[in-house]
Amino acid sequence: MTTVLAYLDPGSGSMILQIIAGGLAAVAVTAKLYWGRLLKFLRIRKDEPEAAKPDAARGSDPA
Amino acid sequence: MHSSAPAGLEPGSFRDPESRVFYSGDDVYRALSSDGLSDFEALEATGLLDGERVVGTERASDVAALRGLLVHEPAAVLRHERIPFVSYPYEWTFSMLKDAALLQLELLLAGLEHDMVLKDSTPYNVQFRGARPTFVDVGSFERMREGEPWVGYRQFCMLYLYPLLLQAAKGVSFQPWLRGSIDGIRPSEMRPLMNFRDRFRKGVFTNVILHAKLEERYADRPQQVKDEVKRVFKKELFVANVRKMRKLVERQSWDPPEGVWTAYGERNSYTDDDARRKDEFVREVATSRDWKLVWDIGCNNGRYSRIAAEGARTVVAVDADQGPVELLYRDLREEGNDRILPLTMNLADPSPGLGWRGLERRSMPDRGKPDLVLALALVHHVAISANVPVKEFIDWLASLGTALVIEFPTREDPMVKKLLAPKRDGLHPDYELDFFERTLKEAFEVERSERLESGTRVLYYARPK
Repeated sequence: MTTVLAYLDPGSGSMILQIIAGGLAAVAVTAKLYWGRLLKFLRIRKDEPEAAKPDAARGSDPA
Repeated sequence: MHSSAPAGLEPGSFRDPESRVFYSGDDVYRALSSDGLSDFEALEATGLLDGERVVGTERASDVAALRGLLVHEPAAVLRHERIPFVSYPYEWTFSMLKDAALLQLELLLAGLEHDMVLKDSTPYNVQFRGARPTFVDVGSFERMREGEPWVGYRQFCMLYLYPLLLQAAKGVSFQPWLRGSIDGIRPSEMRPLMNFRDRFRKGVFTNVILHAKLEERYADRPQQVKDEVKRVFKKELFVANVRKMRKLVERQSWDPPEGVWTAYGERNSYTDDDARRKDEFVREVATSRDWKLVWDIGCNNGRYSRIAAEGARTVVAVDADQGPVELLYRDLREEGNDRILPLTMNLADPSPGLGWRGLERRSMPDRGKPDLVLALALVHHVAISANVPVKEFIDWLASLGTALVIEFPTREDPMVKKLLAPKRDGLHPDYELDFFERTLKEAFEVERSERLESGTRVLYYARPK
């Protein structure tokens, strides 16, 4: 099946909107991530304990 | 889907070519095309059918009887659990539509984990078992296709989000809008309803303003858009959009006016002698037989619906005022009640047949006639406020072929006085106890009657002739 076959018309504008809305969400997530990094870099926010956890977990992994 | 539904095809099930609903005897079946069957097999494997959220479904073997129902020969037939009484979104209260919307989104998200999607987003695919929403259109699930966006997004806006927004943001009841259009409110219709302040309300700019604008701009380029979207659309985007919509729906809230809350509580706790005797009268009738379907018309806060439910399998509790029905729904939902179905509808202007041939959505009696009707503290509203002649009302009740518990407040009753006050003297000469009794006896077999202590209210229990 090469084309989208739906019995319901999804609406052209509605499809475009989903990309924009989803895109905005993606931008927001990225921005949040960088904002967090910036705060850490400026030492306004301290490293959260989660940051150290992966190492500890790896150390105790029996595999 | 009640037992009195006609045998043969469900007239409201024709839009989806892969799956059609029909009846045989008391059973509800669904015929699947071979594509429909592959989708169903994929759905079975997800385990989504095992929970309470989706209507009970099993494979049936009687394929031979179904020739001609589908464009292609049916590949399989399913048998569904029967929903006791079918209801429509324009009869639901705000929280009922919201709960149906959330169920729809939950199922979509759960499906997405298994690469399954819902091909549409219509509230007509949700039914209530009492206060429990149940997804009934198993045929809506299909396997996800690469690059496919959320096809039902637009429909979700039109039939769920906009109606909820209308009531939450503007205080305008959505029911007349959904009853007025089977497809709901279009983006281009919703946009002018939003004022400058509304645009800053969460979700409005994207889902209403921008949506309407884009729809206008890309209307004449469907093929180009489809190809382009297919190239860039990813499942992550799909999931993110559905999650966002869920958050947005969860935020929507509406409460009945304060007076409704007060009245709701008061009527629940009144303990005078009249009320006690009325309770007993109703209870005696309700528990005297195994009633299959009771309609409590003019149910108010559901006091008598609850008493009726002591003896009946299903009670449909109807009131023209959405406020008390909304509060009743919230209580029933908390109790997990699956026998009392609360609905809002004006009896003097009841749900008609709607959609294609006027058969897609049916009138209330067409969905299942009651074997007992409670009409308590109602006849004066119908006769005086709505100007329906008393005889007309009694004849309509008789045409349902039902037993009846009816209360007649006399002209001396304070409520009747209040309703008559703004009217010209001498109006409603048919609103008299003698005339009422005579009319009732012509249409029904009156079994017993009781005048309540205060003297202005008389109760009757009548059986069909």
